[in-house]
Amino acid sequence: MGKIKKKFSEGSSRTYTTRNRALRKLQVSLADFRRLCILKGIYPVEPRSQKKANRGSSKPTTFYYAKDIQLLLSEPLIAKFREHKIFLRKLQRALGKDDLTRAKGLEARRPEYTLDHLVIERYPAFVDALRDLDDALCMVFLFATMPTVSKVNNEIVEDCKRLSTEFMHYVIHSHSLRKVFLSIKGIYYQAEIQGQSITWIVPYQFSQNVPLDVDFKVMATFLQFYRTLLGFVNYRLYTTSNLSYPPKVDQSMDDSAAGLGSLRIEAKRVEDLIKGVQSSDTTSVPEVTMSKQMKQRMDTLGSKIKKIVAADTTTPAYESVGSGEADGDVDDETRQSGNLLFGKQVFFLSREVPRYSLEFVVRAFGGRLGWDQTSGGGSPYAENDRAITVQISDRPVQGHQFLDRIYVQPQWVYDSINARRLLDVEDYLIGQPLPAHLSPFVEYEEGDYVPEAASKLAAAAGFEGEVTNLKPEDRDQSEDEDEDAEEAADIDGASADEDAPDSDEEDEEDEDAIAEKQHQKQLLAERAGVSFSEYQQKQGAKPKPKAVAGKKRTKAEVEEEERQKIAISMLSKKKRKVVNRTQADAYKKAKDVNTLKTRKAQATAKPVKSAKGKKN
Amino acid sequence: MVGQNKSKKRGAASRETPVEKAPLFPKSKGIDVPSDPEYSSDDEEEVEEGDFDEMLKEMASDQGIGSDDAGDSLDEEEVEEGDDESDIHSSDIEGASSEDGDDESEDGDESEESDNEEDSSLVRVASRSTDDQHTAVDSQDEVEGGSEEELDEVNMDKLTIRDFVGDIQGWKEYRKTLPQIDAGYASDSSTEDPANTIGNVPIEWYEDYPHIGYDLDGKRILKPATADELDKFLANMDDPDVFRTARDEVNQQDVKLSEEEIDIIRRIQGGNIPDADYNPYEETVEWFTSKTMQMPLSGAPLAKRGFIPSKWEHKRVMKIVRAIRQGRITRSSAPSKDAKPRFYDVWEKAEQNEDDSAQQKRLARRARMPAPRLTLPSHDESYHPPAEYLPSEAERQSWLDEDPDHRKKNYLPQDFGSLRSVPGYERFVQERFQRCLDLYLAPRMLKRTTQLNAEELMPKLPDPRDLRPFPSVESLVYLGHTGRVRSISVDPTGLWLLSGSDDGTVRLWEIVSGRCAKIWDLKETVHMVAWCPSADVCVFAAAAGSRTVIVIPSELCDEHKRLLSEELVRAGFNSAAQAEEGEEEDDSLPVSWDMPTSAEQATGIHVSVTMHKTVKSVMWHRRGDYLATLTSEEGGSSVLIHQVSKHKSQRPFRKLKGAVQSIMFHPTKPWFLVATQRYVRIYNLMQQALIKTLQPGVKWISSIDVHPQGDNVIVGSYDKKLSWFDLDLSVKPYRSIRYHRQAIRQVQYSRKFPLFATTSDDGTIQVYHGMVYQDLNQNPLIVPLKILRGHEIRNSLGVLDCLFHPIQPWLISSGADGTIRLWT
Repeated sequence: MGKIKKKFSEGSSRTYTTRNRALRKLQVSLADFRRLCILKGIYPVEPRSQKKANRGSSKPTTFYYAKDIQLLLSEPLIAKFREHKIFLRKLQRALGKDDLTRAKGLEARRPEYTLDHLVIERYPAFVDALRDLDDALCMVFLFATMPTVSKVNNEIVEDCKRLSTEFMHYVIHSHSLRKVFLSIKGIYYQAEIQGQSITWIVPYQFSQNVPLDVDFKVMATFLQFYRTLLGFVNYRLYTTSNLSYPPKVDQSMDDSAAGLGSLRIEAKRVEDLIKGVQSSDTTSVPEVTMSKQMKQRMDTLGSKIKKIVAADTTTPAYESVGSGEADGDVDDETRQSGNLLFGKQVFFLSREVPRYSLEFVVRAFGGRLGWDQTSGGGSPYAENDRAITVQISDRPVQGHQFLDRIYVQPQWVYDSINARRLLDVEDYLIGQPLPAHLSPFVEYEEGDYVPEAASKLAAAAGFEGEVTNLKPEDRDQSEDEDEDAEEAADIDGASADEDAPDSDEEDEEDEDAIAEKQHQKQLLAERAGVSFSEYQQKQGAKPKPKAVAGKKRTKAEVEEEERQKIAISMLSKKKRKVVNRTQADAYKKAKDVNTLKTRKAQATAKPVKSAKGKKN
Repeated sequence: MVGQNKSKKRGAASRETPVEKAPLFPKSKGIDVPSDPEYSSDDEEEVEEGDFDEMLKEMASDQGIGSDDAGDSLDEEEVEEGDDESDIHSSDIEGASSEDGDDESEDGDESEESDNEEDSSLVRVASRSTDDQHTAVDSQDEVEGGSEEELDEVNMDKLTIRDFVGDIQGWKEYRKTLPQIDAGYASDSSTEDPANTIGNVPIEWYEDYPHIGYDLDGKRILKPATADELDKFLANMDDPDVFRTARDEVNQQDVKLSEEEIDIIRRIQGGNIPDADYNPYEETVEWFTSKTMQMPLSGAPLAKRGFIPSKWEHKRVMKIVRAIRQGRITRSSAPSKDAKPRFYDVWEKAEQNEDDSAQQKRLARRARMPAPRLTLPSHDESYHPPAEYLPSEAERQSWLDEDPDHRKKNYLPQDFGSLRSVPGYERFVQERFQRCLDLYLAPRMLKRTTQLNAEELMPKLPDPRDLRPFPSVESLVYLGHTGRVRSISVDPTGLWLLSGSDDGTVRLWEIVSGRCAKIWDLKETVHMVAWCPSADVCVFAAAAGSRTVIVIPSELCDEHKRLLSEELVRAGFNSAAQAEEGEEEDDSLPVSWDMPTSAEQATGIHVSVTMHKTVKSVMWHRRGDYLATLTSEEGGSSVLIHQVSKHKSQRPFRKLKGAVQSIMFHPTKPWFLVATQRYVRIYNLMQQALIKTLQPGVKWISSIDVHPQGDNVIVGSYDKKLSWFDLDLSVKPYRSIRYHRQAIRQVQYSRKFPLFATTSDDGTIQVYHGMVYQDLNQNPLIVPLKILRGHEIRNSLGVLDCLFHPIQPWLISSGADGTIRLWT
């Protein structure tokens, strides 16, 4: 006889542990545990069987992987948290006793910790970090625009501002921005860095509403890690693209709210030289020579800058911000930017357009731009500069207009980026009702509803691949013109034709059958002693969706459907559920598409103005 | 020491100055002057005030230093130190009163002693002269002690105390020679004039009286006659001093103020110190000098603590030393931290030793469940979406009314028209926060969703068109029955159809034409009709009420067949009679074989078997001799097997578990199937043993049928399920099919084609292809072929019975609507 096994000594109850057990094991408070979980990226898990995982109890509990908790045991942060707790206690005591000198000394020796090791632990490879950058970017960009609140002090906000600007500079430098979307929540950006698409959202720059129902402690903990992560990511991105990190802050530009211009992005070579100087032996001779070289360079740099300033009208300052050493790079960049979307454009932003977004977006696509003084300093172009080709303005009427430039609304920039070509400015001229702004993140599948604007764009771009789903759409539109709105709202009719090419005869038959049925129904109504319309109303509730979905079903189709139904009865229960669900999903999708189509038909039928009036 | 003395005197003198001029208005109320010393005896200084004579005043003014208070407070200390010179002076001046320097303050002494005054004019000088000798001796001692010291020359001149040292008598003498002291106004007896004694009574009280107060004798002191206003005015006009004259209402006098008094008034008005000579910014006197004294003040031996280092101090110092050693106390932190950059390339090292598989594995484990990414926005989140994405008014309202946690989308699509009119999104921070919460609080679970296509899941069934023939179209309806047609049966030739109905009739139909050939009215509900399966005879049995009749429809058969049939049916009467004669064993059976009435006999009914309860079912054995009946009885006697040729009945089961739903003879073996509510039991009639119990896993079996080859059984149930059993395989169903929406009433195999059908209360008949292969390894193929619709549902009853045609691929069904339909 084998040894009697103890209960719960293996299996699910060993794989998982509950939160309370974890707390007891780690000997930390709940708050510390939560902080640890946030920083270490440990999350609760849902075991397949709660009862097995919780030693036979079916109470609702939070489970963690026991291995995760085991890993936490050896976490140096726990000791740091304890140290901090002790420090706080000491400080409290010193302050309570009015022992200010002691308190001061304690404060000077406040225990600090970094999260560097967590970054490498959570993201063993750089690509992993990039893959998980979405949330970090969202948070950092949010806090860059946050007012200082308790728990999130000014230092953190400043740090967020700097990190976000650095990241934007990298995106500009690497031209890795791909998609932009103006949503009601904020502006979505999608960049593709090292093959990873990174999406983040930036709120519109208004003073952020600081809600009361938000625990800023939790957010601050997240932010602490995200800042560290983004810092390291920025460092890596900068160094790999041969830029020096951290970029220098131009204080005067920063003071004049230059935004992106407040950071000076420099090529790395100079930095390397300086590093070389620092790391080389402290013997004075080479240092002196090096410093002489440096001095020479600095001198030349100054003269170059002067030159640039003199020739300010032709080249914007931010491109010449690159140091004298990086001249070659700059040239490359300009050459490269010629191929980019806005490479040949010079923009001017009127004061009412959001510079914080447009500057980033335009520069990321190689454009050069100037802006109104009221929206920040450091503009390389004045409004009356002859080089400006496009002025972005968002006002109903533009007073004075230069003849040698186009005045467009800001949506043109975003739509052009998403379409990957410069769109026709006709639709975006000032004072004109804009075409719909569509999400570039939507991918159309078979049977999806494709908005008119998207299909137009696709057609113009010549993407024949997608036209297959556009086709019925197009025909639908043509039908719209001569048919009623209701009839236009028919999808199955269109798709059915593909299934049954020989349906012409059957269609006729079908119509006969329908007529017969109608007659039968009328008879039935007569027998019931009500008018036909009433009878229909009574019956209407149930068959309505059917009528929408399968109004013109052919005989073959009916047969096919019946066969399907019969076949479903042969399935096992499990499979039957799956099939039923997929069918329900398809039905719902079709219904949604249908409603969109009917709405579209209604909207086009109505004059645009009245629709707008209703909205407002 | 000297300074102190002087200061004291000076302080006294400074008080004296105004006093000198006091007689002008000794007790004026209108002007703020120092109050009567009598009433302020607790104040030491003021007691002394009156005691100083002119000389002292002069002396004090000469010295010009020292503050009143400082002198006072330090007085005592000096006394303690045994410095006596100053004391000599003061005591002498005050009339040789001296005090014990160690114990009491000089001033306190004086205030007590002043009670013993004898002579009002001499005030304290006189009174102190009458004091006891002790004080005099004391003072003398002090003087002696002080004689050694250097004495102030001025004092020496003025006071000739030294002359009388040691001789009290001489002192007394000397006293008489002292000049008469004019007591100042402050002294008690300074009021020469009859003082008014009204005390503190307000002067207004005497306004209307001619007198003011009373003298010592109790007589009124009359107010002096006053000049009228005109005279006063004239007098004032003449008097140059009118502006410095004040009226003393109590004494009814005009008082002329002196220059000094006016000066004091001015000072008070100006908020200055009244004393003109008072210097508020006197030079400080260093009382505790850094000079060490040569000799200690006391001879007490030094305490131990005075010469050993402090233990506690040592402890405190050691604490600091330890803190320094342990590094708790450091000099301000070195800026070494700043030297290290905050960010560096963390991934550098990791990528260098990338092949460290163990570490890789360990690290890879961590990211086994990455958090799901946020869903990317769709068109309706745009600030200017296409018009069709905007919600209708009803949708908007329903979104607003919905609980925020249950909303499908956390935003409402909106059209702002242009970018300038887009406001900030209010719930931005909340949404970020919610994401944070999801990241660290939401349990994660890997859900493997295989992207299953519905088509892929569908069974690969052969096309029904390839499985023809099967009944698919309704081709004939047999109308005539007025009640539910509970049972139908086709004769073995396939030409005739029998139907039994609730209206009590059994009808004979010609299948092809639908003509009703004959009607038997059995008066009671016909539950079952069944042709005898033997091809030799033309007999059918019908169950009507509790009676089972055996009928020979003579019209249908030729002579030979009729004779055979009659022989089969009627032979039993003889054998039954014989049996009755022989043994009477079967009395317990609730069966009686009767001859029907002659009228019935004329219609072809030859035998009638009567049972106690309603007969539900009649089943022929395949040979056509045996007949099984099922009654609505409980227990074993519900199932009976009758031998038609012998008119004999027997009860195969003594007891049966459960209510029997259906019975059946096995088509090939001597088996008998009994379906109870839950199970189907198969008995071997030869061995009289139970062979198998099939467990369809349903709640209520309605019907069973056995495949003509005998290896498969289908079971229909009221809970909508059809179960196919392979008897060779298992007692559990090989396949369960659930299509019908209502209870299954009947299941039937086709005897000739690989078909079977189920009928249901939902008014449909489902036809299946059910191919059974000879190869035992191959499973039966079951393909649903067709759903036949046509029967109407009456009282929630649909199709009650169905039957395949024995020769053609046809199906005949009967329903609760009283019709029989032929499907071809």
